[in-house]
Amino acid sequence: MTERWFPDEMPMPAASAETVGWWEAAAEHRLVVQRCTACGQMRHPPGPVCPVCRSTASEWSATEGTGTVYTYTVVRQAFIPSLADKIPYVVIAVELDGAQGLRMVSNLVDVEPEEVTVGMAVEVAWEDMGPELAVPRFRPAAGGESR
Amino acid sequence: MSPPRGRRPVIAGVATSDYPHLPDLSEHAVHGQAADRALADAGLTFAEVDGFATTGFFPMYATGVAEYLGLHPIYFDETNSGGSSFEVLVEHAAYAVECGAAEVVLVTYGSVQLSQMGRRLGTGGGGGGFAPGPAIYDALWGNTLVGNYAMAARRHMHEFGTTPQQLAAVAVTMRKHAATNPQAQEREPITVEDVVTSRLVADPLHKLDCCVISDGGGACIVTTEERAADLPRDPVYVLGAAHATTHHLNLSAMPSLTVSPAAQCGPVAFARAGITPADVDVAQLYDSFTITVVLTVEDLGFCAKGEGGAFVEDGGLEVGGRLPTNTDGGGLSACHPGMRGMFLIVEAVRQLRGEGGPTQVPGARIAVAHGTGGMLSTGATLVLGREAP
Repeated sequence: MTERWFPDEMPMPAASAETVGWWEAAAEHRLVVQRCTACGQMRHPPGPVCPVCRSTASEWSATEGTGTVYTYTVVRQAFIPSLADKIPYVVIAVELDGAQGLRMVSNLVDVEPEEVTVGMAVEVAWEDMGPELAVPRFRPAAGGESR
Repeated sequence: MSPPRGRRPVIAGVATSDYPHLPDLSEHAVHGQAADRALADAGLTFAEVDGFATTGFFPMYATGVAEYLGLHPIYFDETNSGGSSFEVLVEHAAYAVECGAAEVVLVTYGSVQLSQMGRRLGTGGGGGGFAPGPAIYDALWGNTLVGNYAMAARRHMHEFGTTPQQLAAVAVTMRKHAATNPQAQEREPITVEDVVTSRLVADPLHKLDCCVISDGGGACIVTTEERAADLPRDPVYVLGAAHATTHHLNLSAMPSLTVSPAAQCGPVAFARAGITPADVDVAQLYDSFTITVVLTVEDLGFCAKGEGGAFVEDGGLEVGGRLPTNTDGGGLSACHPGMRGMFLIVEAVRQLRGEGGPTQVPGARIAVAHGTGGMLSTGATLVLGREAP
């Protein structure tokens, strides 16, 4: 995916000291999550403190970029004016494979809303938003039966 | 809570403003109308108010409303936790009078959201633009307020077999209660079929799974048992309270999509009050969406996790049902001006004073008001009682 999926009026991400590593990886189309180096707990979105052991030590941990739909909704009313032309679109929480059940909210693209199910296998579909900026949306996994 | 005898916190007066449509009133005027009525109900005047609490959608909000009301309080609070704000503000006010930081705390709410927005469906806004700190990880996906609750509902259905018809039962009961409330915004009876065939806003939530948008407000007076002894109304005791938060905008950070913060603060509030869920005679539970009520009855311990759908089916929330809930018609039908928590408190107090009218729960002694704010982000529980602890 190279074209913008949402229109330009939507907010552009801006990295902070805590999240710059995540965005740098994303720009290289690597989906990472933050992992506490004290207790091993993974977390998302990135932040300064482990929600389990409260340690401030962390590292970036690679994921396979695959997962399953944990839950979803189909947005059918355009509360965000610039998205009126995108209605209906699918918002999902993906349970990432190999990431301690960690969930990440994103969009499911390349799918008919009626085909989405909880448990559907999905894979990351990178959207390049600029020269050094990409965001992870998801699409149904290739040959992906539900797990 | 076990403060010194005499300083036990009570609610000495309550009122709602006119609602649900106030095209001629400013937001501040709604605060003023509610404050005036609550003080009259308590047999007090503005001159006796030394503490003030309210909240709204911009900083120094309480300061501005205090100025409008001509108050110079020595205690003020404008904690904002969204829909649960007013339960938190009353909890704080209870602590303030308990420790002597104030004697008479006026808590007010006012909103003219309906007149400002000109739409009547309470589905909240959406991302776009507003993305402080980690919120950018939510704002990128075009999710909406109702979309977040919809995702919780979908997961609840998947894990526990909850059905759209069970969710709809919440809306049907609220409408039934609203039919007895002459002020309610929507009073025409509806059926489960009406709800599940209304337009999908964010699957699986339909239009009638969503609260209304209204103008309106309310107020209450928090003071001590000792002060209330000289006042005309029977005091309603603040027996216990607690609040909790699990995340803000990011569902990624929510520990479980089927467990709300009520699971944290409910048991604490009940323990502080020395009660169990079985002791509760009447409940006022935040009903931004039908799923909010299903999660809340589970998380407060009125039924086991996953059984909320069955609990609300077949009139479980009606007067005479297992847990009479939202006896004024709730936010789904009566009034939802954006942060409805004050209405929960006013209705709980009215029930405990026996002023519930057609939906009065006979002999109600213990009431719970539970607010939910944000994207199932905050919860605040107040346990109120007719008798001293």
